[in-house]
Amino acid sequence: MKQSIKLVVLIALSTGLQSVRGADDDLLEVYVVNYTLQYFASRITGGHARVEFPAPRDSDPVFWKPSIATINDYQKADLILLNGAGYAKWLSGATLPRAKLVNTSSAFSDRYIKIGGEATHSHGPSGSHSHTGTAFTTWLDFQQAILQARAIAEELVSKRAGLKDTFEHQLDLLERELLAIDSELMEIGEKTPGIPLVASHPVYQYLARRYGLNLRSVQWEPREAPTDEQWAELVGILDAHPARWMIWESEPTKETQERLAMLGIESLVFNPGANVPESGDWLDLMRENVDNLKQIL
Amino acid sequence: MSDSLYLAWRYIGFNRWKTLTLMACITLITVLPLTLQVLLTETERQMLARAASTPLVVGAGGSALDLMMSTLYFGRDVPELINMSDSEEIWETGLADAIPLYVRFRARDYPIVGTTLDYFDFRGLGFAAGRPLAVLGECVLGAEAARRLELEPGDSLVSSPDNLFDLAGVYPLKMSVAGVLKRTYSADDLAVFVDLKTAWIIEGLGHGHGDVARDGDTSVVLERSEDNVVANASLVQYTEITKANIDSFHFHGEPENYPISAVIALPHDAKSSAILRGRFLESLVTAQIVVPFEVIGALMQNIFRIKNVLDAVIVVVGLATVLAIALVFALSLRLRQREIQTIFKLGCQRATIAHLLAAEIILILFASGVLCVGILLIVDHYSADLVRLVFVN
Repeated sequence: MKQSIKLVVLIALSTGLQSVRGADDDLLEVYVVNYTLQYFASRITGGHARVEFPAPRDSDPVFWKPSIATINDYQKADLILLNGAGYAKWLSGATLPRAKLVNTSSAFSDRYIKIGGEATHSHGPSGSHSHTGTAFTTWLDFQQAILQARAIAEELVSKRAGLKDTFEHQLDLLERELLAIDSELMEIGEKTPGIPLVASHPVYQYLARRYGLNLRSVQWEPREAPTDEQWAELVGILDAHPARWMIWESEPTKETQERLAMLGIESLVFNPGANVPESGDWLDLMRENVDNLKQIL
Repeated sequence: MSDSLYLAWRYIGFNRWKTLTLMACITLITVLPLTLQVLLTETERQMLARAASTPLVVGAGGSALDLMMSTLYFGRDVPELINMSDSEEIWETGLADAIPLYVRFRARDYPIVGTTLDYFDFRGLGFAAGRPLAVLGECVLGAEAARRLELEPGDSLVSSPDNLFDLAGVYPLKMSVAGVLKRTYSADDLAVFVDLKTAWIIEGLGHGHGDVARDGDTSVVLERSEDNVVANASLVQYTEITKANIDSFHFHGEPENYPISAVIALPHDAKSSAILRGRFLESLVTAQIVVPFEVIGALMQNIFRIKNVLDAVIVVVGLATVLAIALVFALSLRLRQREIQTIFKLGCQRATIAHLLAAEIILILFASGVLCVGILLIVDHYSADLVRLVFVN
């Protein structure tokens, strides 16, 4: 009798495992090029997809270079979500299946911001890079972020028509949250018309355009001490653009903050959310960004 | 009748060489046209299969046949070129997936096929060794090309110059072999596949070189202004894409204006196919959309007209052989006059003698028939491989 019970339990377990494995195999595999897209896709799919963003947490996804093995992983995915606007420079040298590529910002590609000639600069071990070309942090205009989320949902529905209602419901929830942040930022913009601000990195073009921020950029890194030339450049900017706040992608060093304070400039962090934050999720990060930005009021 | 068959069998056994010659004649004359028919049918099927599996092809206006030969079989003649924007336009219609192809350059006489990874999925091409294309400057070889060039993953292959007399023209590009495809007995076996961007680099639309703006070498600078640096012809361009220099590779101009030779369009359904064809017919300016099956089908009809000539020749030869066999039997009867007389004198009737001769003929025809069926079964079994071998070689 004991043997029979064992047998029944074993069969039940193996059947259960097989069904779990079967369901897992049926999951869409989605690869993305930044954390923002990973968050959007994860929210919309609500667990019906494996959304992979393989860049290391401490890397800048724009200039990160995947290994051949990682490119092969991208190739095998069901869907590859791109940000567009020249985001993820490695894409220009990689071979990916066109049928799986989705440019999530194509709906507003005519509104990309072109950037003029700027000097190259370097940070970390990845060597120097330039921000010339097209501004790529498109989602910092939250209306554009909504369009990107819709593009993701549309593509997911085309892959899993049976989950249309689920995806659309999830998209609706996400859109509401993005709209709420958009409203708050609009309010900040309306309350601070023309207040000069300085950005530590040229990544806030869409934020400035949508919310009417009077922003000039330098090319500083939060973890690196600015050079004398960089300080001189800032002082030059301040002559015509008397900013009292500098917006950073992450907390700058204490020395930089102190020297900025001597120039009458305070620092605030507005993390674009290109990579996975140390705590919380993308939406938490954006809410924190909005709270930080409220300091300029 | 069994007595007659026994005597005929004994006679055939005694005169085995004469019998074998007769059997060979009858078998050959029967097998030849039937074998030809089997092989031609298989050839037609295989040639049409590649065309039939390719729903639509978009290319420049002009010879549809040239376009097919280049797109399906990677022929040497390059059709008029179209732009990458034509491929993107097909994607944007939402009616079909588009696979661009750029078949123009060669590497040691093997066609370099610039395309996207979607082509491999579309043709169901698997890998015998290595991996798919991953970065610029890599190539994937067809099975036969790899065998003949004696290359395997990790080796290198240099593209052939477009024109030996164009000294300022295309730089040969040293490509790294990423993988070798499984044998398919099709034109894919003889191809060298690269990413479209790599094909454009071979053409010179993209290239890599040192940073003239930041490097200290003034000997390569022709003119320097505040926002632009013009290099002179002594600036060395990289002829191999490596991990170290891949970032220096860049393209000039807009990718949508870059050339391709054709686009394979994969409509989502019959309705999409009809709409897509309609759109091209309506707005036909420079590009054309063709159904490969129709073009290659028409070509096959012309080619296989030669089969009618072969059939006629075989009929004439067959008639001659039948007459020769009749003559052999007639001569055989004359040679066997004494033997027939002996049988007659032994008391056999003329009908018995006729039975004996008929039994001999029946046995020979039966043996030839069995041999014929056996040969045809073997040919039919190996017809696909035989035809593939002929095509690929």
